Amino acid sequence: MKVYLIALLACFSLHQASAQEASLSVTGEVTHPLQLTAAGLSKMKRTTVALKDRDGKEHKYTGVTIPEILDLAGVTTGKQLRGENLTKYMLVKCADGYEVLFSLAELDTSFTDRTAILADQLEGGPLPAGKGPFRLVVPGEKKPARSSFQVTEFIIRFAK
Amino acid sequence: MVLLLIACLAGTGSIWKQGPPRPYKVEYPSYFGNRINIPEDNPLTEEGVRLGRMLFYETALSSGNRISCASCHKQELAFTDGLQFSIGVDGTPTPRNSMSLANLLWVRNFFWDGRAEGLEKQAETPLTNPHEMGQALAISAQKLQQSPIYPALFRDAFGSNVITDNKIVKALSQFERTLISSNSTYDQYLRGEYQPTASELNGITLFFDPGGAGCGHCHGGPKTFSELFHNNGLDSIPEDAGRKAITGQEYDNGRFRVATLRNIALTAPYMHDGRFKTLEEVADHYSDHIQASATLSPFLENRQKLTMQEKKDLVAFLHLLTDSTFITDKRFSNPFK
Ligand code: HEC
Ligand code: HEC
Repeated sequence: MKVYLIALLACFSLHQASAQEASLSVTGEVTHPLQLTAAGLSKMKRTTVALKDRDGKEHKYTGVTIPEILDLAGVTTGKQLRGENLTKYMLVKCADGYEVLFSLAELDTSFTDRTAILADQLEGGPLPAGKGPFRLVVPGEKKPARSSFQVTEFIIRFAK
Repeated sequence: MVLLLIACLAGTGSIWKQGPPRPYKVEYPSYFGNRINIPEDNPLTEEGVRLGRMLFYETALSSGNRISCASCHKQELAFTDGLQFSIGVDGTPTPRNSMSLANLLWVRNFFWDGRAEGLEKQAETPLTNPHEMGQALAISAQKLQQSPIYPALFRDAFGSNVITDNKIVKALSQFERTLISSNSTYDQYLRGEYQPTASELNGITLFFDPGGAGCGHCHGGPKTFSELFHNNGLDSIPEDAGRKAITGQEYDNGRFRVATLRNIALTAPYMHDGRFKTLEEVADHYSDHIQASATLSPFLENRQKLTMQEKKDLVAFLHLLTDSTFITDKRFSNPFK
């Protein structure tokens, strides 16, 4: 398992996205800065969740859980998420300049049962133009305002 | 430590004549929020801002000594020039419409496509672009060094009378950060000092309410600015790729920065290519002429048309954003006049 993870890590960190290929970067308070592409994401453990969109209907989104991605980048999750690490947050940046923020605890499976994912599929197909290739999907919120479109960056920081 | 440093400077002779520069305090309403951008290595000072104001109006920064920043950014037009495209030193029109310079303190990525991160970086473009001011920064520095007034002003602002490109862009940026417009009729309304007409009130609701014309989704908040890039449906096949040319991403095709609407009644013509001459044309666009494309903002799809009265009300609101004190403020005017 460990070897597999390291291999995967190496593969992700070496795979520099070409200028035209869309990707998600994970930087800041991480031990392994990541540059994830659609191909990379499709090889990770897949999860499906339901989200009520602005149309008021539930839709099925598939992708990779945020903790899974944060683990890969070496962010303090699970047992490490205590003490000063509880003052860390994740800033999500999107292609259109939109930004939203989460405290790390809000996303961590040791704190919450809800599963936020970085989705690359809607009802088994690609995301609609304007929302993909990567959309953050945060189930269980009254408004979908943090389920942001065209996510390009996760930046982990300490609140100062 | 700081004292020691000053003492050292005193020893070398490159001493501030009247003591170190005094901090310049920017003032703005609390509803603008404090997410402002001032680089650590370029704090605002009285002396720096004064120098920046002179440089902003200084034609010696252009080849041929005829053009200054103010040629394309005129105070009376909220620092635009009233033209569809601006004319620089070589007579060639700029590819895009000049932008208003107001509340830049809150902007992080400058130009219609957001290609310049920070004002210091932004300033290099008009100064050196052959179609704008067309002069290398090193030559500008040389010209100013030979002037009878500038070496002393640079010394007062930066502690040494040696003029460099870096100090020129820093001083310009300091001045630009002080261009704050927060006394429009709309601000007076927010402060409880102005009672809008029924039409203006309806315009405010239409603009900001998600159920209304939905403008606030992009131009939201009292600053009427948020740093977003969108395709607002001007063309189905954009002639100018906008943000895509910077990021290389297909999804950025035809995306431009959401511009501030402060003083919008003074800054015609509108959009990155100055295609609309009036605010009425802009209202018509958002109501009736949104062009579909792969990158059209989802927030502009399937829109309800506005009635004639609603268009009038929206335009009435946009007129409330005019700040007559901003365009007459002596602190921002031509110091050579
Ligand atoms: C020849 C006309 C011209 C001159 C001279 C000029 N500008 Fe501009 N300015 C423009 C145009 C046109 C744009 C928009 C360009 C674009 O987006 O590609 C612009 C954009 C800007 C912006 C971006 C504003 C924003 O919100 O992103 C700033 C800041 C600015 N100019 C400052 C200056 C300064 C400082 C100078 C003098 C050093 C200057 N300009 C000289 C035409 C000019
Ligand atoms: C999806 C985001 C979005 C929405 C919603 C939106 N705008 Fe805009 N707006 C933009 C963008 C982006 C620009 C710059 C576009 C360009 O120049 O290509 C812009 C430009 C403008 C301009 C011209 C600014 C200038 O300096 O030239 C005006 C005026 C304007 N919008 C008014 C409105 C009004 C009124 C509404 C509501 C009816 C509205 N906008 C809704 C994104 C939006």
